[in-house]
Order: sequence, then structure tokens, then C-alpha cells
Amino acid sequence: MSRPQLSKYKEMEHLRGPELGSQTVKRILLRRLLQLGPLLVAVIVLNFLLIQAAPGTFLDIMTAEQQVTDQETVERLRATYGMDQPAYIQLMKYIWAVVQLDLGYSYRHNAPVFDVIMAHLPATLLLMLAAISVSVVIGVLAGVIAALKVNTFWDGAVSFLAVFFYSAPSFWLGIMLTVLFSVKLGWLPVGGMQSVLLEGGGFVRALDILKHLVLPALALGLFYAATYARVTRASMLEVSRLEFVRTARAKGLGQRRIIFAHILRNALLPVVTLLGLQLGTVLGGSVVIEAVYSWPGIGSLLFDSVMSRNFPVVIGVMVLSAFLVAIINISVDLIYVKLDPRIRFN
Amino acid sequence: MQKPIYSSAFMRRLLRNHGACCGLIVLICVSGAALFAPLVYPGDPLRIVAMAEVWPGYDARYPLGTDALGRDIAAMIMHGARASLGIGVFAALTATLIGVTTGAVAAYFGGWVDEVVMRGVELFQTIPALIFLLTIVSILGPTLLNITLAIGFVSWNGLARLTRAEFLSLRERDFVAACHTIGMGNLRIIVNEILPNALPPVIVLSSLTIAGAILYESALSFLGLGDPNVASWGRLIGEGRAVIRTSWFVSAIPGIAVMMTVLSLNLVGDGLNDALNPKLRDR
Repeated sequence: MSRPQLSKYKEMEHLRGPELGSQTVKRILLRRLLQLGPLLVAVIVLNFLLIQAAPGTFLDIMTAEQQVTDQETVERLRATYGMDQPAYIQLMKYIWAVVQLDLGYSYRHNAPVFDVIMAHLPATLLLMLAAISVSVVIGVLAGVIAALKVNTFWDGAVSFLAVFFYSAPSFWLGIMLTVLFSVKLGWLPVGGMQSVLLEGGGFVRALDILKHLVLPALALGLFYAATYARVTRASMLEVSRLEFVRTARAKGLGQRRIIFAHILRNALLPVVTLLGLQLGTVLGGSVVIEAVYSWPGIGSLLFDSVMSRNFPVVIGVMVLSAFLVAIINISVDLIYVKLDPRIRFN
Repeated sequence: MQKPIYSSAFMRRLLRNHGACCGLIVLICVSGAALFAPLVYPGDPLRIVAMAEVWPGYDARYPLGTDALGRDIAAMIMHGARASLGIGVFAALTATLIGVTTGAVAAYFGGWVDEVVMRGVELFQTIPALIFLLTIVSILGPTLLNITLAIGFVSWNGLARLTRAEFLSLRERDFVAACHTIGMGNLRIIVNEILPNALPPVIVLSSLTIAGAILYESALSFLGLGDPNVASWGRLIGEGRAVIRTSWFVSAIPGIAVMMTVLSLNLVGDGLNDALNPKLRDR
């Protein structure tokens, strides 16, 4: 299957599927997992170099913030954080520590960085999952409608909305949604993840979180919905011209079955690839959205740590998010193998 | 060196595309705003000029109203166009420079060079760009130069992959073999012979990279990591958040400016792409 016109859009430049060749699933998995190590080391080194290049060590900021003036205490802290040693030894030590899941200590939270990040991770994962679901459901649905009613009013409307949401900054969209649904209509909460004073059981609480989740998930998801709508439309139109669709028609299958079982199933492949490649940016985008909605996730943590120059947490977030994205990419590859039998049987 | 990009047939094809035309007009307006901002609104756009939260259309002197501090929004929008376009263009140039160099070198020399570059591309694809950007700017300090370079630094990998793909197909062509035969040096073959042929799709992606860079800049300054001495659309959106209950227009207006600019860049990029690949036009 060639997809020449898919290169039409920026996002489609990534659409060459994972290079799977004739390998079996297990070997792919093994190879990708082996690549994970060097990747994480590279992330650590990159960040370490950055921090070394920064004016002022984080010890300076920490001591200033905690109002430590006693030279002896500063020296003791320097030794505690290993900052009296040369940079390359610090780097080696850090890498070794990360291998043991020790990302350092956050003086601001008074807890290990790993624990701090893990405490914030569920909120971010929830937001990401909701945003991705929103984007896939809305995007694919809109793309299918546009492709089925190509060159009609509906197609135009979908294209227009896609272009709109593709260009609007997500944080601005979030603020505008808040103005409409929270300030003007008063339907949904302005921010946060849970109401402060809430009595009731698990169901009431889940409903409360869901209410808080709607706007951030929309603000974050609509951008991706726009890209999926465009990709789905282009891909549907292309697949529907292929021989096997004609065969399906010729053997008298119903329209609905042709669309969903034959065309859509194959048209979803580029969407899956795109999804995998964009998960990293969803994580990045959630930083901004979390700031808009004071959502207590990784993004808020990172933003807070960046502002207070709490570098152990910053590197920790970078390493863990790179790890998360890499793992997600591997899963996407595996889903790809499931969806596209040609890869499996080659 | 032939430049098919500027041929009149190309311009005709581009201008026949309505979307690209609209985009071009908007871009010209935004560039005009950036260019003439110091003439129309001389002085510091960040100074306080009137009462706070004057609604748009209420006072003819402040057509777009004033923000929570009583600063003229129209002045900040026009001066903000300078920051957005300037950072966008120079960040995209940085990204193009890095991406084209690495992509070209990787494809031309192949072997371990290619391996190293592709691992680098993968690395940058794995780190969420915005998180990396935040980290770089917060560590090195939010100056215009740092922000521009940092945005370029997180946006080059797509360009590297595209350039590499183009070079891979071009390097096997006969004219490259001919260049080798007459003893031309590697640098000359890359820069003078292959690059001009690989450039059209790269230019399209570069123009789209400007749009991405503008979005990154607005997100950075929205989070308060922009250059504090420069009027910026993103920062105005962020500052407007404090008054969304009484004056939501303070956030809305600069957001529309960002959206229009990004939209027009995308339209022009698509138009360029169609005009450069006439075969795809009818789809």
C-alpha cells in the first residue's frame, strides 16, 4: 500500500510505519528494549550537561532559599549531594543511581524524587488518557464523516474545525473553554482535580473528578483530534480506492460492513502510528494544560521545580517521561503488528 | 543553480490555491504590524496608558481595550507580532540549519555517521519537546537568544529525517556519480549539487516549523518563561487569565492573533507543498 498523498501534511512525514521488516514480535521487543538503555543514558547526559552549563549550582539556590549561611553547613550539604566531586564522577554516580531507580532527593518535598514523581504521575496519566480518548474518538469520527460525505458541507465543516483546532494554542483554548463553561455557564469547575469539601462515596468522588477532567481533556485533546480527523479522512479516501474494497463491494457486502470492517480498519494504521509518535507531545502539552487548570500532575510538578530550580526533580521528570514515551512507542509497535497482518506474516 | 521555486508557473499554482492566498494576506498583515509597530505605537508598549480593563470599542484611542494594568492591548499585539514572528523565523532557521546539516551528512556518508544521527533524532523524538524546552530555558535563563536557540534545538528532528530521506534517494542518481567521477569534493557535491534538489520539501517543512515555533514561544511566555522585557502574545494571554471573570477579551485577543498567524503559516505551507508537487494537487 503506497500512501503518496499522505506526505501532504507536516504530521504525515512521520507516517512511515515502524521498520519491522520480517522480524518476529519477540525479536522486535527485545531489540527495542535493548535500545532503551542507551537512550535513557543519553537523556541523562544531555540534562547533566545542561545543568553544568547553568549559571549557579542548585546548592546556591537551595541554601539561599533555606537561608543557610553557615559555611560549614553548606560544605556538609555539598558533600551530601556529592557536589564536591568532579562532574564526570557525579554523572557516573547519577547514572548508577538511576539504574537502581534512585533519582535523588528533593529538598523541597523532603522526599525521594522517585516518590514525588510517582505521587504526581496518576493525575497526568489520567489526563493524558482522557485527552487521547477524546482526540481519537472525536478525530476518527469526524474524519470518517468527512470522508463519507467528501466535498459536501460536512466535509467542509470538519476541515474548517480541524484547521481551527490545529492552529489554536491549547492553553488559550483551555482558557476560552473555561470562560464559556465555567465563568459564563457555570457548568464545570474552573480548575483543580477534586472539590475540596466533598462528602460521599466512591461514585460521587469519581463523578467529581470526571467533572474536573472534562475541560482539560478537551483543551488538550482537540488539537490531536484535528490531526486525526485530517489523517483519517485522507487515509479513508485512499483505502476506499484500493482493489480489495472493490472486491468487497463485488461480493455484495453491505455498505456499513465495507466501511467499518474493510476501509476504516485499514485506514486506522496511520492514525495508530501518529498516535504513538504524538504521545510524547501529549505529555509535553499536558504541562501547559496542567498549569492552566492547576491539575496536580507531573506538569505542575515540573513547572514548580523549574521555577525553583529544583534540578533533581527536573532531571527525574525528564528521565521518567522519556522512559514513559519509549515504553509507549514500543507498545504502539506491537499494536501495529496486531493491526497489520502483513508485518506478522512477512 | 536552477531555482524552480521562483518560476512564474509556481507562483500561479500557489496563488490559485485560495487557502494559501488567504494565508499569505494574513501573513503580510502580521509582518506589516511587526514592521510598523514602532511607528504606530512609539515607545514602550508595556507602559500604563489608561484605566484598567477598558473594553474594546469603548474608547477610540484603545481600539482593542486595555488590560488589567491599563496597558494598551493594540500596542502590545502589534509589538508582540515582532517577538512572535522574529522568534518563529529565527528558531525555524536554527532548526533548518541543524536538521539539514545532520540529515545531509547522515545520508551522504551513511554507515556509523548515519547511525549516530538517527539515534540522536530518536532521542529528541523520545523527550517531550515542550518539557525539554522548559528545562533548557529555565536553566539557561529566559533571554530572546536563549529562547530562539532552544526552540530551534527541539524542532530539528523532523527536518533531519526529511533531508536524510531526500538525500538518500538523490545520492544514488547519475549526476552525483558524474560529480564523483570528475573529482568534485564531498562538500561541494552536498552543498552545490544535491542540496538544491532536496530543498523544495525541506522549505515546506521549514515554513511549518515556523508555525510550531510560534506556538512554542507563546506557550513559554504564557508560562512566564518568556523574556520579561518583550511584549509577547503568550504572556498577554497568561496575564489575562487573572481577569477572565470581568474581562475575558484580554486573553481572547492575543490568542486569536496567535491562531491566525499559525493558521496562515499552515495554509501557506500546504499551498507551497501542493504547488511544489502538482501531481497531488487534485486530491
